[in-house]
Amino acid sequence: MIYLDSAATTLQKPPSVVRAASYAINHMASPGRGGYGPAMQAAEVVFACRQEAAELFHVEDPEQVILTSNATHGLNIAIKSLVKPGDTVLISSFEHNAVTRPLYALGAQIRVAASPLFQPEAMLEAFAAKLTPEVRCVVCTHVSNVFGYILPLSEIAALCRSREVPLIVDASQSAGCLPVHLKELGAAFIAMPGHKGLYGPQGTGLLLCAGETVPLLEGGTGSRSAEQDMPDFLPDRLEAGTHNVPGAAGLLAGLRFVKAKGLERILEGERSLTLQAARGLSSLPGVTVYAASDPACQAGVLSFRLDGMDCEVAGEALGERDIAVRAGLHCAPLAHKAAGTFETGTIRASFSAFNYPAEAGRLVWEVTRLARRR
Amino acid sequence: MVYYLIICRSLTYAQRTAAALERAGITAHILRAPKVVDQAGCSHAVKVSERRLADALLVLGRVGLSPKRIYVMSSDGSYKEVLL
Repeated sequence: MIYLDSAATTLQKPPSVVRAASYAINHMASPGRGGYGPAMQAAEVVFACRQEAAELFHVEDPEQVILTSNATHGLNIAIKSLVKPGDTVLISSFEHNAVTRPLYALGAQIRVAASPLFQPEAMLEAFAAKLTPEVRCVVCTHVSNVFGYILPLSEIAALCRSREVPLIVDASQSAGCLPVHLKELGAAFIAMPGHKGLYGPQGTGLLLCAGETVPLLEGGTGSRSAEQDMPDFLPDRLEAGTHNVPGAAGLLAGLRFVKAKGLERILEGERSLTLQAARGLSSLPGVTVYAASDPACQAGVLSFRLDGMDCEVAGEALGERDIAVRAGLHCAPLAHKAAGTFETGTIRASFSAFNYPAEAGRLVWEVTRLARRR
Repeated sequence: MVYYLIICRSLTYAQRTAAALERAGITAHILRAPKVVDQAGCSHAVKVSERRLADALLVLGRVGLSPKRIYVMSSDGSYKEVLL
């Protein structure tokens, strides 16, 4: 199978990730719950994972790195730490439901900085216009999970800093292929999955914290056990219950893989495959491709659709031809509305460090066959 | 053998403390804090030898990890808090 759904989760993992997770299952117990070997070995791995992440994402202190189950978990902690019912929150028009649903559930006043696809200057202008004094918090994705559009995050972060409004970043599609710098951005929180561009196992994620936090879960932390309040220090405050140690061990190996390969090399590889596929698909009659004219705005995610063919039907047909893509709204209806694809949805191909030009070529060839069949 | 226990608020804090000491060449061992010195229940401690405590305090002060509480284990096995 040609796997082109890495924006959902990377299927091909470095062998070191599989080995590390497997070793942890067989040899490691629960960190912080005992002084015996397997518990301490687990503690070392979890701490190493925090340290590696702190280094990669420029976090001052490994205690600010929280292990979560996924990016959605991290975003929920971040949003529920900063936003109260009725607060006005400014978001981009490319946010995922992982951002909009918690805001909706909280009863926040959601304000959208809307701008067309692949127009970073217009996006920045929209943020500047809508970031008024009543805005309590800004939430912004770094890269659209539907279109691979790289938003002007540094500039949006600078705007937030200048207006003293806390920023939450959704780095779900950028962690592992673009620089993500907690200190430089001055963000309050950055949430990311461990199982996408960081090549960790599913069930892993990271939340980088610089702001005040409110626990999403209460429970045992292996610290201050005589007290009923959650600890007031990180990471314990946000990590109730037993850790996903095999996940952390795998994520540590994934972080080391990304570090060794280099963000720039990973991005260039994914971008090159995306542009190759975009060029090939654009040449086909009746195929609409949503790609950036400026490659600097494009990460390794590409959306397209076939005129006269339901996107889900096309996705199924590609699956039958051993090409794994994702079709539909990709849990991001707002992004589809911004791009004018809400009614039709799109087919999404997303690349990882384990894809090759021949695979992008095969995608184009199979879509060519599908387009002929209509 | 007499040794000191640097009491830490969390396992992660203890790991940061031990890592800073090890980087400076000071042997540091993480353990669960004995119940008698553990006021809040379930905390961790970093154990350093008697002769390295002064160096350890210097190192930890430099990296912003100054301890809040330290205990010395006396030869009779009891723990006494060290006034910082």
